[in-house]
Amino acid sequence: MVMEAILIAIWAGIIGIDLYVGLTHMHRPVVTGLVVGLILGDVTTGLIVGGTLELIWMGMVPLAGAQPPNVVIGGVIGTAFGVIAGQDPQVAVGVAIPFAVAVQGLITLFFTIFAPVMHKADQYALDANTKGIERINYLGIAILFSFNALIAFLPIYFGAEQAAAFVETVPQWIIDGLSIAGGIMPAIGFAMLLRIMMKVEYIMFFIVGFILAAYLELPILAIALIGLAIALYDFYQNKNKQGPTPKEEEIADGI
Amino acid sequence: MASSSYHYEDTASAQDLQPKEMRKLAWRSLLLQASFNYERMQAAGWLYSILPGLKAIHKNKKDLSKSMKDHMEFFNTHPFLVTFIMGIILAMEQKKEDREAIRGIKVATMGPLGGIGDALFYLTLLPITASIGASLAVNGNIFGPFVFLILFNIIHFGVRFGLMNYGYKTGVKAIAKLKEGTQHVSRAASIVGLTVVGGLIATYVSFKINYTWTQGESELNVQTDILDQIMPALLPLAYTLLVYWLLKKGRSPLTLIGLTVVVGLLGSYFGVM
Repeated sequence: MVMEAILIAIWAGIIGIDLYVGLTHMHRPVVTGLVVGLILGDVTTGLIVGGTLELIWMGMVPLAGAQPPNVVIGGVIGTAFGVIAGQDPQVAVGVAIPFAVAVQGLITLFFTIFAPVMHKADQYALDANTKGIERINYLGIAILFSFNALIAFLPIYFGAEQAAAFVETVPQWIIDGLSIAGGIMPAIGFAMLLRIMMKVEYIMFFIVGFILAAYLELPILAIALIGLAIALYDFYQNKNKQGPTPKEEEIADGI
Repeated sequence: MASSSYHYEDTASAQDLQPKEMRKLAWRSLLLQASFNYERMQAAGWLYSILPGLKAIHKNKKDLSKSMKDHMEFFNTHPFLVTFIMGIILAMEQKKEDREAIRGIKVATMGPLGGIGDALFYLTLLPITASIGASLAVNGNIFGPFVFLILFNIIHFGVRFGLMNYGYKTGVKAIAKLKEGTQHVSRAASIVGLTVVGGLIATYVSFKINYTWTQGESELNVQTDILDQIMPALLPLAYTLLVYWLLKKGRSPLTLIGLTVVVGLLGSYFGVM
């Protein structure tokens, strides 16, 4: 069982990367079903369980940055359990979901604790250290691999059912709380952008964008196009005002 | 003088990027989310993706440092469509556009692509190809997974590499037209950028109170009956402005991430969010 658990862990590590990096979508359960089935020596059951899990995860996609229950761990553990226990695919789903939800919470946590690393990246950027920037990204990939491999290894090695019982002892409010925090988190990024871009003369455009989304519920593309229309109007107004003697900034540059 | 911080020291246009370099950049864009985190989201991965381009463009080390610093700012877009923005931005960098204009265009394009990408990839391509694959797999057909992977990735990589070139050409053309007034261009870019950010806050910050006040017979849902009546997306806006204010006060983004986790945990523990 150790050999199988290690091979499955390696697969989980690889597709744990693919979920965020690569995006070839070999991390989908329909593919995992085949691979885990091969490792465990029962391709047909693997395919059937994987295909079933695929249909369940079909609607759970990362829309607008919200994290759905983790498809990598859900797919790997669900399929492995289904094949090992010879269970009905529906039972495999019951085991897969608590893991997938718990891992989703852990990923939120990981994205939080990786934030300080960005200050190192700022320093590398300032020093024009391109190798440093590259290393930080490779570090992220290495962590994704190890994290997913470990999480997949333990329950398969120790028995998925005991592990599922353990996972269920994690209080639901902690997992829910992390997911709520993940939903609010984009506010920080937007606030950082505002700090860089906001000038008093631009506040009105910020308000217009907010109204269009909040009250009129327009999609972002429509809002961007309205912004573009305003910007073009403003652009030609200024250009015409300036008349045929442009290049004021050349003077400014020359000083 | 005052303008120097917005401009590069070496203002001569760099050489055009070659198709081979563009392909390399498109491959690197696969790592866009390698260092994803809640402070900058895809920023470091974005910088990684365009880095060989920036190195080729900015031979002056100070300019390279300025450019890299700007590209470490918050960035988040659809991972499948990012090459379009890469193309446009590299065209601007190559022509040594005003740095504020580059930032404005980047922010103005990253949001709208999110919606298009979700609709195209997650709501159309993935369900169609994955259900074809899964329907074969549940019948025990070993070709199910392969059919899925091939169909999905022909379109995925086609779009990724195609948009790289398309974005670059679009960028070069647009800049040639707009070159006359850099200041006006950067103003226009800032206008679109801030309009989009205003919309993004209302759309993508999910902050809701889930609590119903019961007083005898009458029930009052705090979110729908009170907050939404005052203003929709009131909490996302208020929280973003609070964070903005704290950032201006010199609080570090890390503190604010910690604060947000605490808010989420408390909201969940007391069952009000």
